Amino acid sequence: MKLSQGNYTKLLAILISVILITGGATSCKSKKKLAREKAAAEYAAKVEQAKKDLTAIINGTTSWTIDQQSDKVNQIKSYNIDDSEVIEMIKKAEAKIALDIAESERLAEEERLKLLEEEKRKKEASKYTEIDKQLKSISTSSTIDAANKKIMLSMDQFASPDVPVLIIISQSGGFNDYDRPTTISKFLHYLKDKQQYKYQVESLKKDKLGKITELELIKK
Amino acid sequence: MRFSYLLIAAFVFVGSFSSYAQDDLSPERKQAVDSLALEKVRDLSKYISIIGSKETPWSEANRVIDRAEELFMPESEIGVSSLNNPNNINYYAVRTYFERLMRLNYKKVEIEWYNIEYMSDLQRQPDGTYVGVITIFQKFKGYDAEGRLVYQDTTKKDITVFVKRKETQIGGRLIGFWDVLLGDMRVKETSK
Repeated sequence: MKLSQGNYTKLLAILISVILITGGATSCKSKKKLAREKAAAEYAAKVEQAKKDLTAIINGTTSWTIDQQSDKVNQIKSYNIDDSEVIEMIKKAEAKIALDIAESERLAEEERLKLLEEEKRKKEASKYTEIDKQLKSISTSSTIDAANKKIMLSMDQFASPDVPVLIIISQSGGFNDYDRPTTISKFLHYLKDKQQYKYQVESLKKDKLGKITELELIKK
Repeated sequence: MRFSYLLIAAFVFVGSFSSYAQDDLSPERKQAVDSLALEKVRDLSKYISIIGSKETPWSEANRVIDRAEELFMPESEIGVSSLNNPNNINYYAVRTYFERLMRLNYKKVEIEWYNIEYMSDLQRQPDGTYVGVITIFQKFKGYDAEGRLVYQDTTKKDITVFVKRKETQIGGRLIGFWDVLLGDMRVKETSK
């Protein structure tokens, strides 16, 4: 069969079209592949970074705050990484964060109670500051007469000269060891004789008239 | 062989007895009791200096004698020595000693105690009493009306200390306390 000039031209045009179509399709395919490869690489990098971050959280080697660690885990979870190792690590990191939160709450509670106890102690101590000052003042009197005057004034606060005075010499396990009990009259004169007040009022009891009926001191 | 068994049994018995007799106080409590006994001797030191001082009013000295006497066990004695008669140590009942001290024939008297320390630590006895010995050094100075130092000596004295745990009711509460009582005060050395 002999091709005419016209037919030959048609055939050439078809051939060129086929080549162009085929070539274009190949080029499109390679772009998609590149995009896939890029996405895969990004995913792999994300997985790698997630593992690093989770390891730091689990081992407690990060300087992030607990809130920042929690945010990081949530961010990693949002990636929906389909990797059994990462999923396991997320569980461990969440458990670690929960433990850290509990520990930090325990410490905060401990600190709060400590502050309350300290406040209470200070309040208790200041409650008896005035009487401690009076007792000290007897011991630091410059003359016997001056001390005796202060003793007379102080005695007015007590129900009688025989009000018992208990002196704690040691405290351990909620148990007090005392010196031989004495009376307020003897104790005030003792302070005058010793010229020393190395005690602190621990507690006192009063009667209906507001007079002290028992004084408990602790040796400092 | 039989002798060996007896020996072992004797060791076990002695060991168990000594461990029973040992301190059952914690170190902190024992330290507090030790300090308390030392404090009572320091109180006595202060009382002696007040009683001996010619500046102390008579009524005050008598009050202090009462307090000082309360520190001692009944029938305790206090030794007195003098450089003028070094081989003769006289022992007086506690109250007599203080009354003599108050009336010493000097215009001015200075008495100072120093180096107050345990010579033998408090040891628990089978009846629960702790017994120890505290040594003190006493410097005595007597002056005449012209303010001249006419007599002085330094005496080393040993004081036996008895500490016993007792209980008493106060305000409806049972109070456990350590009762410290001083025994004889013996003269060990006298020097200028």
